[in-house]
Amino acid sequence: MTGSLRIKGNEDAALAIFLLAASVAFCILVPLAWPLDPLRGDISATFKPPMTVVGDALHPLGTDQLGRDLLARLGLGTLVSFGIVLIAALISVVLGTALGMIAGYYGGWVDALIMRLVDIQLAVPFILLILLLVSVLGPSMTNLVIVLGLTGWAIFARVARGRTLEVRELEYIDASRAMGLSDTTIIFRHVLPNIIGPQTVLLTLDLPRLIILEASVGFLGLGVQPPMPTLGNLIGEGRSVILIANWLVLYPGLMIGALVIGCNLLGDWLVRRAESKVS
Amino acid sequence: MKGLRFLLSRAAQGLIVMFGVSALVFFALFLTGDPAVLMMAPDSTAAEIDAFREAMGFDDPIIVQYGRFLVDALQGDLGSSLRYSRPAMDLLAERLGATALLALSALLWSSLLGFLLGAIAAVRKNSPIDFAIRVISLLGQAVPVFWLALMLIILFSLNLRWLPSSGYGSLGHLVMPSLALGAYYLSAITRLVRSSLIETLGENYVRTARAKGLTEWRIVVRHALRNAMIPVVTLQGMYLASLMGGALVTEIIFAWPGIGRLAVEAIQNRDFPVVQAVVLFAALVFVVANFLVDVAYTWLNPRIRL
Repeated sequence: MTGSLRIKGNEDAALAIFLLAASVAFCILVPLAWPLDPLRGDISATFKPPMTVVGDALHPLGTDQLGRDLLARLGLGTLVSFGIVLIAALISVVLGTALGMIAGYYGGWVDALIMRLVDIQLAVPFILLILLLVSVLGPSMTNLVIVLGLTGWAIFARVARGRTLEVRELEYIDASRAMGLSDTTIIFRHVLPNIIGPQTVLLTLDLPRLIILEASVGFLGLGVQPPMPTLGNLIGEGRSVILIANWLVLYPGLMIGALVIGCNLLGDWLVRRAESKVS
Repeated sequence: MKGLRFLLSRAAQGLIVMFGVSALVFFALFLTGDPAVLMMAPDSTAAEIDAFREAMGFDDPIIVQYGRFLVDALQGDLGSSLRYSRPAMDLLAERLGATALLALSALLWSSLLGFLLGAIAAVRKNSPIDFAIRVISLLGQAVPVFWLALMLIILFSLNLRWLPSSGYGSLGHLVMPSLALGAYYLSAITRLVRSSLIETLGENYVRTARAKGLTEWRIVVRHALRNAMIPVVTLQGMYLASLMGGALVTEIIFAWPGIGRLAVEAIQNRDFPVVQAVVLFAALVFVVANFLVDVAYTWLNPRIRL
């Protein structure tokens, strides 16, 4: 145990935690503490490149077509996007884990039905399904969270089911049943604790997919609507002025990269740690 | 015989999936209650909406409508585009070539390079070159396709002026979309081949081959690669859905006249019959590709009999 806190051999985890902590600090501190307004701009300060000073305001990342400060918009946009992704991920995990445990525990036709739903869900490209649902329901933050959450459950269900099948065969589950515990109690008290670990790892590895998905929907203009910034719609808006202001596209992309690399490194590290524990 | 039964049951599962997807795309239009209001322009009069509702048969019981939708779909009729007044299938067929060209070219270069990089990284495990390859594959998965595409445009079109920034028709037009779309896939394949090959290289028969004095590359090419391919092939099918999703965004950026652009335009124009057609088609490609993966799987590993 003593070695697990040392950085040597865990450079990946250190880098991952640094990237994630810095990103989270950025998206909380900038909206709280940065004085410039992310939604209202200074019309006399449009398309200023990074590190420009206008009047008494410094624009470290430059300004956009309406003279809004990119740092302020990027901070708020990261907060909005990451918030949407986290809530959606939570919906996916809870829904997928519940359905997966039910499928694995009861087996039979319940299992067959849920697993076919998983297959159906995975057969449609996520982005198409999300675009279809958002276009039917209308683009709003709530709809986006719900749709992202409801379309991401399948992979969690598949893994939870597999793990439940293993746990179900263990002796203490038989013992619990012999003691007359109800199925619900057994699932929550004895199956769930065995599943939480792997599901957390899976969640870390699934976050990048959600981050990029949310950004793609925003980029296509079907996510959260302007003037509210998100990582995706910042790039979408910057795209049309890429000739004169490439920083508007550059920085939101780097932010996405930091979040995704952080999650991927952390997830890979958690997987390796779990594997080395087993062996 | 067992292999055949496995494949037959997989085919049956594929049919069930297609049936489910058809229900999904059909009933999605009823989520807001009235598909007629959904499909008509927001400024339509009540009389126009009523006329449209009757013309589309939205007054019939919903099960009857779904039955009609299924029967038509099985005959290759997925309704008419509300915008172009042409069969949705025709629009799809016209755009198919462009998307296939983009997706297959991206798949081809990224698979070849991914296998090469993955094999090098596995053989030279923990060397500086392994580290470099790992960094490349981490970066390739880190950024969205559309951002990478925009960076390529800034570099190759705006600064260097080597390639056209959008359009369709020549090889030059294909380079950037194919690069952007393949990058994510390259990362995925490289990582998979590396980890799978490292595992295979630890097997007993590889040790035997080494003891016979074969060179490391000969062992990789002649003995290990075939077995290392099993997980790679299995995951190809899963990646296909994300490849199609990526193609959609790539086509928008480069004004590539494919199915992805058709889908996004249809969604923006509330042209739902076309959207339904695209989703059904994408699911069909996914199901067929995964079936082919199952066939390849059985062929690569005769021991696998589920």
